Amino acid sequence: MIAQIARRIDIRPLRRDASMPDRQRPPQTRHGFYVLLLLPALLLLVGLLATPAVYIVWLSFQKSTLGQEPAFVGLANYAALIADSGFWRAVWNTFAVVNVIVYGELAFGLAVAVLLRRVEMGRKLIIAAIIAPYAITESSGIVMWRFMMEPEVGIASRLLDGVGIVLPWDSEPWAGLALACLIAIWQHMPFTFLILYAALLSVPKETQEAAAIDGATAWQRFWRVEVPIIMPAILVAILFRYIFAIRLFGEVWLLTRGGPARLTEVLAIYLYRETFQYRNFGLASAAGVCMLLLSLLIALPYLYRMAKEVRRDA
Amino acid sequence: MHDLRLSTRLVRAAGILAVLTWSLAPILLVVTSAFKEPRQIFEVPFQAFFIPTAENFETLVRLNPEFFSGLRNSVIVTVFTVLLTLCASFGAGYVYARTKETAYKVSAVFMLVVRMLPPIVVTVPLFPVINWLELNDSHLILILLYAAFYVSLGAWMMRSFVAQIPIELEEAAAIDGATLWQILRLVVLPLAAQGLVALTLFVVVFAWNEYVFAMIFTMNNARTAPVVIGEMLSTAEGVQWGAVFAAATIQLVPVVLIVLALQRFLIAGLTAGAVKS
Repeated sequence: MIAQIARRIDIRPLRRDASMPDRQRPPQTRHGFYVLLLLPALLLLVGLLATPAVYIVWLSFQKSTLGQEPAFVGLANYAALIADSGFWRAVWNTFAVVNVIVYGELAFGLAVAVLLRRVEMGRKLIIAAIIAPYAITESSGIVMWRFMMEPEVGIASRLLDGVGIVLPWDSEPWAGLALACLIAIWQHMPFTFLILYAALLSVPKETQEAAAIDGATAWQRFWRVEVPIIMPAILVAILFRYIFAIRLFGEVWLLTRGGPARLTEVLAIYLYRETFQYRNFGLASAAGVCMLLLSLLIALPYLYRMAKEVRRDA
Repeated sequence: MHDLRLSTRLVRAAGILAVLTWSLAPILLVVTSAFKEPRQIFEVPFQAFFIPTAENFETLVRLNPEFFSGLRNSVIVTVFTVLLTLCASFGAGYVYARTKETAYKVSAVFMLVVRMLPPIVVTVPLFPVINWLELNDSHLILILLYAAFYVSLGAWMMRSFVAQIPIELEEAAAIDGATLWQILRLVVLPLAAQGLVALTLFVVVFAWNEYVFAMIFTMNNARTAPVVIGEMLSTAEGVQWGAVFAAATIQLVPVVLIVLALQRFLIAGLTAGAVKS
């Protein structure tokens, strides 16, 4: 490939810059070029994400709704938020749902990765099949699961009835959230699986063999040798899934709309309702700031590590 | 290592079968049901064999013409999101791979921080501004938002792909008199092609399937297919399952095919991108 490129450069002699023949441009002129290259990305990020993220902090100290001059109210929005039982319901639901999803996916993804790593025959096809749910939109995923779980007529709900499990997701809040978790795990397990699978494949065979010679059982070899080696990958998977699971919206919204009686709302749905339905921008902003801080807090170890990597090389 | 015993193999085969059923059954059920007659869909006992019919697709065309304009909007938004994200990410990734100065490093970390923000949070302050700019219900706002959320992943992915390209190639081209733009276009771009494909895959999957932004920021004009499917699920007169299945099938087929065809790039992207371990 490199030869190909080199040939390409030879065949097509490039236009020479008359003012600066046969010489690399002085490095200081490059900064302008670099800034130009960075500009589109930075404009997008600052204009559409960073500025709103800062603005929402300011907004959370204002009393405001659509078409009304905002007025400074200090911490009143936060006080109202803390007093709102709906908010605490959303916090608790989010906490429960996110943990079930992240650790459910971790256990399941790890099991599938272990199951698959010694499989040679048809491995590509099997991996393709496992990845397929990842390519599907939330709304189609909900279509599939609602079809299977439709009370009394859906295939999966009839099968579950057969073994005595009833999941009345359309009436019981816990069951609605449980089904949302199931769908989220179904859809996002491929991400966790791929990271863990790649990590497992890169564990050197020698360490395994050495442990086997020392008399370790397969179980011990897995927990004492392999899991510590792939721990960084496990942590990355957990971290990323935490950050993305906190955003959970579509699964719950399309199943229950946060109902009945706002009992299945997660933070993203609480925020959406307060903003777009009740036009309660101040309260929504305060909740948004909480979500923002929570996400950044979870991301902190990852950001710290990446910052260290950037400082080291590049 | 040497567990070639029959029982181990059987257990493993059963496990794989179970995983495949879990992953594929919901998809296959919906796709096959799309070709059933409506009355067969919830039939007991379950009909594995049936004569395929296009009836549901006809119902979809008749009852939900907005689904097809939704598909068109999805295509427009996805194509332009990919273009914008690729251009912006390639430029930024190149700079991050080739610079050592603090200012660039700070901006690289800034990109990561911004990526951690939950999307729904930025909608609260953006909504009035977008209304005021009259960008509501336009393709442009979705394209810009999607690109903004994926450009940081893109920049970091491109950074690791560009870093693998020997800088000597660029220097050789510079000695031959190539300008910076020419080096970027003729030397770096072709060598980073694999990274660009991997990034394209991520962006296509995201933009084609995104739901929350599309639901909040579009009404008729730019409403995308996932939002239309979502609406078909919440009609007052009960869900038209046949039409919903037809719509879901049409919507999922292209992106599933792309992912299956390019899955090795997905893995390359995951391991080379921001989640490198």
